Amino acid sequence: MGVAGRVYEPVTFLVEAGHVAAFARALGVDPGQGVPPTYAAVYALGTTVPQLFSDPEAAVDVAHLLHAEQEFSWERHPRLGETLVAQGRVAGDVERRGVRLLTFETEVRAGDERLCTSRALFVVRAPGR
Amino acid sequence: MSSMEAGTPGGRTTRRELVVTFTRELIAAYAEASGDRNPIHLDEEAARAAGLPGVIAHGMLQMGLLARVAGDPARLRRLSCRFAEVVRPGDTVTFRGEEADGRVELTAVNQEGRPVVTRARAELAPPPDPAGG
Repeated sequence: MGVAGRVYEPVTFLVEAGHVAAFARALGVDPGQGVPPTYAAVYALGTTVPQLFSDPEAAVDVAHLLHAEQEFSWERHPRLGETLVAQGRVAGDVERRGVRLLTFETEVRAGDERLCTSRALFVVRAPGR
Repeated sequence: MSSMEAGTPGGRTTRRELVVTFTRELIAAYAEASGDRNPIHLDEEAARAAGLPGVIAHGMLQMGLLARVAGDPARLRRLSCRFAEVVRPGDTVTFRGEEADGRVELTAVNQEGRPVVTRARAELAPPPDPAGG
């Protein structure tokens, strides 16, 4: 049911030093330590999740959505100046007791190399709950 | 934010701790830096309309702070958690990581003693060989 199995167009993302430094500072991390692991929130989620949220057929009620679970796995972390390609896929879309559970997976590559896989669970409550 | 790191005498278990009091400014700075400007993180009215008590911190902000107690970021290979409880401005959360043999058990508990994340863990790649081999 829903849009399970839907695959979105790959999105290209440049790992830009100034942006990474600003992200590191927001987490209280020394920007000199390299790319913070959870910068994946930007290069994996920030790139592909908007495709899901703006997909009229997926019809995600973003106003009632919560990020319920998140898992990242990395082969390695990106380097400054590197160009990444992220591709998102709806791994699951089920409804349980009026709550929609959307599992969204993103694979991030640099050239032929797999860098990172993200698995997010979004919970969408029906309005008024 | 305050943090500390301690190892046991055997050197097999390393504990890290970070205490963070969340503020509107911290959440807004993360929204700006991450590009996630969902109004539930920034606008009280929008947050209430979404059925929340008020603005809440991003799950990914919690996870970013959790990563700080997971160990050497360059060696981090896996990080996962469930967001169990909303974190609001004024909440003080204690993030703890306990690492043994590359496996890290993570916790984050608010000022009322309630876990804000559950099932939180990380895995680290082995440290680089000091001999360079």
